[in-house]
Amino acid sequence: MKGKYLLGILVVLGALGYMIFGGLGQNLVYFLTPSEYLQDQAKYQHRPVRLGGLVKPGSVRYDKDLLELRFVLTDGVAEVPVLHKGTPPGMFKEGQGVVVEGRFEGGVFQGRNLLVKHSESYRPPQAGWTPEDVRKLIEEAK
Amino acid sequence: MTPALLGNLSVSLALAFSLLGLALALLAYFQGDGRFLRGARTLVPLAFLGALAAFLALEWALLTHDFSLAYVARNHSTKDPLWVTLVTPWAALEGSLLLWGLLQTLYTLLASKKALDPWRASLVLAVLYGIQVFFFGVMATIASPFEILASPPQDGVGPNPLLQNHWMMAVHPVLMYLGFVGLSVPYAYAVAAMAVRRYQTWVEETRWWTLVAWGFLTAGKVAGMWWSYEVLGWGGYWAWDPVENASFVPWLLATAFLHTALVQQTRGGFKAWNFAFVTLAFAATVLGTFLTRSGVLQSVHAFAEGPVGPAFLGFFLLATGLGLGLLSRVSREVRDAAAFRPFSREGALLLGAFFFAGWALVVVLGTFYPLLVEAFAGAKVSVGAPFFNQLSAPLGAGILLLMGVGPLLPWRRAREEALRNLYLLLGVLVLGTLLGLLRGYTPGASLALGLFLYNLAAVLLLAREGVLGRVRAGLSPWGFLENRRRVGSLVVHFAVALMGLAIAFSQTYRLESEKTLYRGEAWEVAGLRLTFQGVRALDEGRRFAVEALLKTDRFGEVRPRLHFYPQMNAPLPAPKVVYTPGNDYYFLLMDFDREKGEWASVRLILTPLVFWMWVAGGLMVLGTLYSLWPAGRPKEVKGVSPA
Repeated sequence: MKGKYLLGILVVLGALGYMIFGGLGQNLVYFLTPSEYLQDQAKYQHRPVRLGGLVKPGSVRYDKDLLELRFVLTDGVAEVPVLHKGTPPGMFKEGQGVVVEGRFEGGVFQGRNLLVKHSESYRPPQAGWTPEDVRKLIEEAK
Repeated sequence: MTPALLGNLSVSLALAFSLLGLALALLAYFQGDGRFLRGARTLVPLAFLGALAAFLALEWALLTHDFSLAYVARNHSTKDPLWVTLVTPWAALEGSLLLWGLLQTLYTLLASKKALDPWRASLVLAVLYGIQVFFFGVMATIASPFEILASPPQDGVGPNPLLQNHWMMAVHPVLMYLGFVGLSVPYAYAVAAMAVRRYQTWVEETRWWTLVAWGFLTAGKVAGMWWSYEVLGWGGYWAWDPVENASFVPWLLATAFLHTALVQQTRGGFKAWNFAFVTLAFAATVLGTFLTRSGVLQSVHAFAEGPVGPAFLGFFLLATGLGLGLLSRVSREVRDAAAFRPFSREGALLLGAFFFAGWALVVVLGTFYPLLVEAFAGAKVSVGAPFFNQLSAPLGAGILLLMGVGPLLPWRRAREEALRNLYLLLGVLVLGTLLGLLRGYTPGASLALGLFLYNLAAVLLLAREGVLGRVRAGLSPWGFLENRRRVGSLVVHFAVALMGLAIAFSQTYRLESEKTLYRGEAWEVAGLRLTFQGVRALDEGRRFAVEALLKTDRFGEVRPRLHFYPQMNAPLPAPKVVYTPGNDYYFLLMDFDREKGEWASVRLILTPLVFWMWVAGGLMVLGTLYSLWPAGRPKEVKGVSPA
């Protein structure tokens, strides 16, 4: 009798474990900088990604009638064009650290959700910043 | 006397009384001397008064704008309205800890009033005192609400504007803490029961506490969802954010415990499970606080971080280790009174509890997985909402399925008439699902409709059974209402089924549309015609508001707003929600012409059945309240002898 329960529990746990780890693998959303993306473009096509970087000064184009926001995201080394459907969030401006949730469709990153990363100690990046610095800045910002 | 002096003194006193109480309670247990126990009991109200004085000192400091206190300077402003000032104690970490400590002393006070045999009473008090020592210890050392600033500012910035935007945020944290802290009492009883090897009666003695805690947790969760919906401006109520997960896990485990506790109470079974579930439920409240306060996980709730992470992690390990360690020591002795058959009410209850516990496991894994990946693989990842949704849908459906049939199955083993009911219910489930499919709903939504009707039928069958039973016995059918536990659970079960339906539909069908409108322009969307009539600016003292005037053909004028707070760089949206029984119309002002007010970008989100989520949440709380209401409660026959 005891063995039967044990078996039942094992089957349930096994099924649950399979679902959990299968589901986790499929639904992991990677946080990337533009340079990390450019190193392995094929891997990140058509799957949800969080792309972090700075809004390149002079690259912002917003059409309020079409509600289309286009800008270039940079980490100092690499650049990625972003197309975001919707209004820019309140603190969105050039040189600001942002995280865009969305997918790569071809060379353009299609943003679904745009988060502005703002921190008290935020400084516009100086020349010579590395992608790692940009990444830290964004991760540490609230 | 200054607020800081009174506050620091009171926290120290509360800590000292708790330490002394802990020592006396432990002495009473190990020496077996009733005088120590009397001493420990005497200190309970004193610790409560200490905590109360500290809390009032913080209110005093806030009301008198005493910016020499770091907490006041960081979280208060002279421009805050009175209600915001009064709820500011729980707007940030240190004050929240103080509120938690105060509620803990209150629960200890109430628990100590119950007559108990001296052996267990001393241990119950020792555990509760131990928890108090932790909280007041943290407040006295690493997270003091009464820290003094060397150079106080003239005025502060006020609490996080997100917290000021809706009155619900004044209530939500208090409800959550009342729930979290409430779980400490069953935990303390469980530890005492395992230590003195009396495994049966603690569940009956703490049933009231568990239900109270569960009711508060439920109310707190629903309040938080409502706040998220009405304030955060994304038109959703649940994002699988770590902070939401952190408070969902204790709720799941407490629910599992409530159901297996019922079996122990009536049949003397599942004793070991109950010890495990209550330990994990309490530990989960501490783990949740660790998650949300330590800043280990990135989260939108970033306003509440602090240095207390390691302290909470240590406390979590201690609480879990104590409960599970004792259980492993006594597990050989813990015997269930009755043999167990799977196809019976207790079988359904245990399976249901496994579903709840499994769900809790899923949520914990999904929440912690990014930490593991970061620690071992170095990659920064997050687990997307689809993971949680994919796993929650089958678990939720399984729970709804068990919820209908479980209460109709008799104890011990199912008999003929129970089988008849089962076929009836399954028929309703299949027909309901088919009806949904015929109406063109998605398979998931159709199944949700089927499960709702199936649970409705189950509740009606159970009510009918109860009433008929009384009529056959020659009693008034209305007397059924006096079976508060039964009726209350029926109400809660119905509400859960209703919430399942509302969640399924609001997650499946959602219409979102955005447009930039010029003054006088009309927009036909979602069967609605709205005309933009311009924007209006309002100076409200602590904030500046801009509202769009939208004339609609069905709801008159609707005014979604943007709020500009001086302490925030970005405006906060204040959506306007129009609830109707079918759909929710959620209006948002996204952007506007800052020069002439000629145009505005407006978003409309249409979500079905969200209104019923809040109704279901209210019913869950009312049902719990009905179960707990003392008046007219029938004398329950204690059928099970103490083990």
